[in-house]
Amino acid sequence: MEKKLYGLLAKVLAIFLGILIIIPIIFGFIGFFLPSFGYFPILGKSEFNLNYFYISFNIAGISKSIIMSLFTGLGSTLLALFFSQVILLYFFKTRAYNYIKIIISPLIALPHITMAIGLIFLFSPSGLFFRLFSPWLTGFDRPPNFFIIPDEYGFFLILGLILKEIPFFILVSLSAIQQFSARQIFDLGKSLQNSNFSSWCILIFPLIYKKIRLVIFIVIAFTASVVDMSLILAPSTPSTLAIRILQIYQSSDIDSFFIASNLALIQLLIIIILLLSWMILERIVEHKLFFIFFTKILSFRIFFLKNLIFASAVILFSLSVLGIFSSLLWGFSKNWYFPSFFPNSIDIDTFINFYNENKFIVFISIFISVVVSFLSSLLTIIWVELMDILKMKKLYLEWIIFIPLFIPQISFLIGLQSFIILFNFDSFLIPLIIIQLFYVIPYSFIILAPSLREIKKDIIRVAASLGKNRFQRLVQIKLPIIMSSFLTSFAIGMLVSFSLYIPVYFIGAGRVTTLTVEALNLALSGSRQDLGVATFFQIIIPILILITVVYFNKKMSKWRF
Amino acid sequence: MLINIKNNFVKIFLNSCIFFSLLLFNFPIYAHERNDDWKDVLKEASGQTIYFHAWGGAKNINSYIKWASDEVKKKYDITVKHVKVSDTANVVAKILSEKNVKKNNNGTVDLVWINGENFSFMKTNDLLLNEKWIFNSPNSKFLDFANNPSLLNDFGIPTDGMEMPWGVSQLNFYYDTKYIKSPPKSALELKNYIIRNKGRFTFPQPPDFVGTSFLKQILIELISDRNFLKSNYIANKHERELDPLWQWLEEVTPYLWRNGKNYPSNYLAMTELVAEREIDFGIAFNIAHASNSISEGKLSNSVRSYIHDKGTLANVHFLAIPYNSSNKAASRAFVDFLISPKAQIKKQNKDFWGDPSVISVNKLSQNWRNKFSTLPRGVATLTNQDLKMKLEEPHPSWVKIIEDKWIKKYGSSN
Repeated sequence: MEKKLYGLLAKVLAIFLGILIIIPIIFGFIGFFLPSFGYFPILGKSEFNLNYFYISFNIAGISKSIIMSLFTGLGSTLLALFFSQVILLYFFKTRAYNYIKIIISPLIALPHITMAIGLIFLFSPSGLFFRLFSPWLTGFDRPPNFFIIPDEYGFFLILGLILKEIPFFILVSLSAIQQFSARQIFDLGKSLQNSNFSSWCILIFPLIYKKIRLVIFIVIAFTASVVDMSLILAPSTPSTLAIRILQIYQSSDIDSFFIASNLALIQLLIIIILLLSWMILERIVEHKLFFIFFTKILSFRIFFLKNLIFASAVILFSLSVLGIFSSLLWGFSKNWYFPSFFPNSIDIDTFINFYNENKFIVFISIFISVVVSFLSSLLTIIWVELMDILKMKKLYLEWIIFIPLFIPQISFLIGLQSFIILFNFDSFLIPLIIIQLFYVIPYSFIILAPSLREIKKDIIRVAASLGKNRFQRLVQIKLPIIMSSFLTSFAIGMLVSFSLYIPVYFIGAGRVTTLTVEALNLALSGSRQDLGVATFFQIIIPILILITVVYFNKKMSKWRF
Repeated sequence: MLINIKNNFVKIFLNSCIFFSLLLFNFPIYAHERNDDWKDVLKEASGQTIYFHAWGGAKNINSYIKWASDEVKKKYDITVKHVKVSDTANVVAKILSEKNVKKNNNGTVDLVWINGENFSFMKTNDLLLNEKWIFNSPNSKFLDFANNPSLLNDFGIPTDGMEMPWGVSQLNFYYDTKYIKSPPKSALELKNYIIRNKGRFTFPQPPDFVGTSFLKQILIELISDRNFLKSNYIANKHERELDPLWQWLEEVTPYLWRNGKNYPSNYLAMTELVAEREIDFGIAFNIAHASNSISEGKLSNSVRSYIHDKGTLANVHFLAIPYNSSNKAASRAFVDFLISPKAQIKKQNKDFWGDPSVISVNKLSQNWRNKFSTLPRGVATLTNQDLKMKLEEPHPSWVKIIEDKWIKKYGSSN
């Protein structure tokens, strides 16, 4: 009887949680889906029609924006995946392999815009790169006019995205590799007279690929609709579709809401098209011809090509480090004009002023990310535990929590915004935390759910027979076992929350701002010094989060064993 | 006098204004009533929080707003939260969408820094507090509405007491005298300069406020008859009148910075470009901008400002309260403080913001008059004499046309 009640309670709670997750997703979707057909009774329009598609496609330069978004999504994902595999392959048999994770972790931790800002500091005509060669080689006593960042075609946007996604792909590939006996397979391939490269391509990569497919799809969806990086690195005449949506949504026309919604739907369609073409690409690559290509042609040891590819991977890596370094340099410099390579004087006035003016923003950014990340880990644990109580094993519906990662952020937020305005929020902090949860929970889930579910049933059974109830088992047995995953999930959650731009921009509505939003504003207008300092905080906070987590992880595992 | 008066017509208008205002403001009685009202306003305002939506890109302006917020906190116990806006059109869009969902109280915007087409849009869509509230502000007595029609007309649109004048702006250019001897002082000279010096001129990308204003400036200089600009834009009647502007841009754009394929996002981004000598000229609306940048260490000491020989766009910027503001009394109290001599002199001070005051000095006490007259000017700030050539803003209806067409021709064509 008591057990039945327990189960009922769990069921009710599970349904409640499910609804809590699904309802905002539905609202976020219909909030831009219906208006894109001209239907939104709240604004007094209740007629379905296709007019807005006509209007959307007649916006000047919109096709260029769409093509750029498609190009960026596909190009950056493909290239990042390629380079991540090249780097892994190169290090796979070396001792450095064990340290890759440590080297790339800080790069993963940084918000996307720090990478974009780094590139600007490096490659703008007055940036570090031209200073290095001026005036002694180039003869420039003032910044040249010919070099363009952002460039016309969005190559720098792709570069910025690649720099950020390569470490991410490496990380997920590393954890995928751990799940099968990669070394033996690799050696087997080599013993069959295949080169390193072709053994990797034919034997290892398909195994990795299966495990990281979801992540690749997430990256495609993200890169094709990224806003924060595009604002800095994409050309502005015209920009990518996501930026055009933002601009149109904010213009004060009555119709602009409907046009922006329509474009938001088109942005979603772009992602669907990209994912479908990716799947077609998968089919083609699976085809036998490609195996022949890899075994026959690439089995020749093309040292030159291999080294060239590796060299470009190294260059990419150093670019990201250099860019970040130069943005720091700007934060602590004074009167640093072209063409001097080093600042004339270093001072910390800008730093102190910036901190004094923005300490609340620094604080609130950390606060939000802690709360969001904690709640997200907690909800994931509760959900998994509920499913355990209900003995539900095959959960077809759990993919729903990944939906927010596939709907373009800009579209989803425009959709939600139409409803949020109906409520009278006194504080924008709570809605912001709730919305951020949608972007953080998927990551907590990926990390926590498997490790919770993989705990050996025997251990639990022993605990139960010792008279521990469910809650005690969770807190005293399960949590210590998954502590390392919990901390990882907590850290990743904080990092994701910390780097979110569009949700803060829309939901925070200027009343709640975070460092990421502030840094982007500075990147578009403010002084380079301030931007440098903002970037400093954007770098130091994630790294501190990482260090803290690593430290706790060590400490916890000490007393555990 | 702020606006350059060219004909007697305006004089007659002004005289009638004075007469009219004497009729309107029957001072002794009215002032008394006003006082009582105002006490109620302050009482209601005390302890409230307001969200002031104001452009937040410039550090000195943000610091000034912070100072003013601290003052009203001490004085009236009002908490002012500055919501930093990148484009006021976004704020207008937000208020409009609130009106559309019938959120007629408790709006998210309590006070907005505004002028021009945004004001015009808000006025035509009934988005503003509409009860001539500005005349009930005690400190409005320092504003010379009678002799200064620009305080009651925003881009030619009568404000009807729906927005309070806050400051005065005039479009101005700046350059480094170390490298450039005589800057181009007309649209035509500028064109020649741009073509001769490829890649060394640009303007903020419209619809940025300063970018659009630059286009308007060029249009005013080139249009066949400036009177067209005073009235509503009518497509079939006025379309051709814009041709000189498009012709000018057609010739100039390939020679702009980055071949006109990229533009700085706003005037502050331009300042960085001037500092690094990527470009030769900066553009600003705040007459003290160059001086401020020099004292902040951003621009070199040798930078100076100038305006075109035939004058440049001048306008007043205002503070308006949305119709659905959740704290109208507190907003009014804050506005009243912002136009007080204490706040205005600090605003005009080059070390804080450098934005000219809207107060008429002759309405002040001797003590304040002295303070205003001894206020130092920045090294690169033009004198009132230098700035006397002022151009009137075109009717707001022209703005949208210019912006849309520019975006179509140059903002989306690469």
